[in-house]
Formats: sequence, structure tokens, C-alpha cells
Amino acid sequence: MLKTIQNFFRQRSSADTAKQRLGVVLMHDRLDISPQLMEAIKNDIIDVLSRYMEIDRGTIKVDFEKGKDYTALISNVHIKRVYRNAAAM
Amino acid sequence: MAAQTLVVTSGKGGVGKTTTVANLGTALAKKGYKVVLIDADIGLRNLDVVMGLENRIVYNLVDIVEGKCRIEQAMIRDRKLKTLHIIPAAQTRDKDAVSPEQMKALCEQLAAENDYVIIDSPAGIERGFKNAMAGAQKALVVTTPEVSAIRDADRVIGLLEAHLLKDIHLIINRLNVKMVKKGDMMSTADIVSLLSIPLIGVVPESSEVVVSTNRGVPLVHERGSRVGQAFEKIAARLNGENIPLDDEEENGFLSRFKRIFGG
Repeated sequence: MLKTIQNFFRQRSSADTAKQRLGVVLMHDRLDISPQLMEAIKNDIIDVLSRYMEIDRGTIKVDFEKGKDYTALISNVHIKRVYRNAAAM
Repeated sequence: MAAQTLVVTSGKGGVGKTTTVANLGTALAKKGYKVVLIDADIGLRNLDVVMGLENRIVYNLVDIVEGKCRIEQAMIRDRKLKTLHIIPAAQTRDKDAVSPEQMKALCEQLAAENDYVIIDSPAGIERGFKNAMAGAQKALVVTTPEVSAIRDADRVIGLLEAHLLKDIHLIINRLNVKMVKKGDMMSTADIVSLLSIPLIGVVPESSEVVVSTNRGVPLVHERGSRVGQAFEKIAARLNGENIPLDDEEENGFLSRFKRIFGG
């Protein structure tokens, strides 16, 4: 009984950890995207966004996220300021 | 009837490919089908010892391909089942001794006179593996519930698909139900959702396998062997029989609970 309670309160089972780690590993294996390509994608995103807003280049993060039946590219950028007449440019 | 030509493969070594080939072949031959098993792991032959036929080898796969013997001369008949034969791998040759074209031609010839042709592939993604899959219409990917085996299985599935072999099924070998229940081993559902190919069977972990390999008698010959029964079910599913996937975990608390409450 004590063991069951301990198990219950244990942070995370090793099977869950394995599943989560494998999810990330397989996603990267399947996409086969090199760190150089990731860097290029990141720089292009910075270039595009910089036309319309002032962004914090140091904070940009680009990563993949695996959903049930999709893989998404997630990019997080801190925006400092949006150029007022960006749409008119 | 045209034969089913299957390749049994894996990314990582030591996950139980040869055991799978020996047991599936034996199970199908027990049903009366004509079965040929090909050991395509050239340089590292093992199917012969697992089947207990090591002392009968005269000719091998490379001898056939090089025209040193006829196919029938290299086929070794099983000790118990007269419709079961194996073609052993050469032990001293390099993995490239057989080309994909030669393998394909051999499989076609064997398919004309048998019900099942099952190819034991080398592990990994090297040329030996590509040769082994050349003649197959269907692939069975074997993995154990470990991160390294599953990752490598995923690579192999990718390669099979790239070579347009799309009929791929998964065998999970050495599942330890107790560990799954404790949360210390990934479950069948976890592995299937990661690899996203259809499951054809789950084989429990058991010390029986060591004994069977020691003796050179596949476990489907042993009555009451859980491993043997698991392989018999897989063989039946290959044969188109409708055997539901009530894998090992289904004996657990949760599924009993579900059964009671119709969940």
C-alpha cells in the first residue's frame, strides 16, 4: 500500500519520460532538419518580421511541436514596437 | 495461390528477429502451409541454430545465387515439419554477396512453389537490409519497448516506405506486463502511437526463449508457452484469420475494470 502511494506521488513514471523523450527524438529524426537549416529559418523569420515591427532578436525561439496528427513550427518573438504605417508600406 | 513474401526486420540488433522468423514459420507450417525461411543476414547466420538445423548445412544462399547449387539443394527440411524449409546464410561472405535483383528473383521462384516466404533481415539500415527487403511484399518490424529500439524501428519504417514497401506491421517483442503496470515500461498503446503503423502482435518477455534457443526448438512446439501462443496468433493474423488484438496488458486492472463497466 505504501508503495502504491509512493508510486502515486512519484513525479513521473519512467515510461512517461521515455514516451515524451521519444516523441521529440522521432519528430526531429523524421523531419531531418539540420541545426544550420533551423538557423536559416530563424534568420528569415527575423527578416520578415523586422519589416513590420521592431523585435527583440535575442529572444526569438523556433521549435517544433508534435500534436496528435500534425507537427507545428512554433516561433516565439518578443515585439518591442509595431511600425505605425507598416501596412501601407 | 501466390505466396506471401515477408521480410522480418528491425533497426536495432538483438530485438528478436530470428526468434520471430523461426516461430512464425513453424506456426504456419504447423497449419499445413508450405513455408520457406531465408536467412538473409549474410556473414552472421543464426536462423539455423535457432531452428536446430545447424549440422545439416551443405549449401547456402550465396551458393544458390552464384549458381553453385540448385535451390532445392540448399533448402534444409525442418526436423519435425515436412512443409518447412530454411535457406541458410553464408557465414564467411560479405553482406554484398547477394544483390537486390538476385534476391528478388529468388523470392519470385520460391513464391511460385510455396505459401509463405519469410526473410530474416540483418538489423540496421545498411545494404544488407536493402537486399533483404528487395523481394518482399510485406514487412514485419520487430521492436522491444526500449527507447533505442523504437527509435531505430522508426528509421527502418522510414526506409521501407521510401522503397515503396508500404505494407508494414509492427511486432512488439519482450513486453514485460508487470513493468508496464508499474509505469516503468512503455505500453503497447504508447509504442503504436509513436510509430504509427498497425500492430500485428505483442510477445511477452519470457525466459522460455533462452531455453528454446538453447535446444533449437521454436516455442510454438511447446504447449502452454505464452510466447509460443503469441507467435501463433501473429501467424494466424498473417493468414487472414480474425484474431482480436487482446495483448498482454489487457489482463491488467484497468481493462478488467473497463470490461465490467463496458468501457
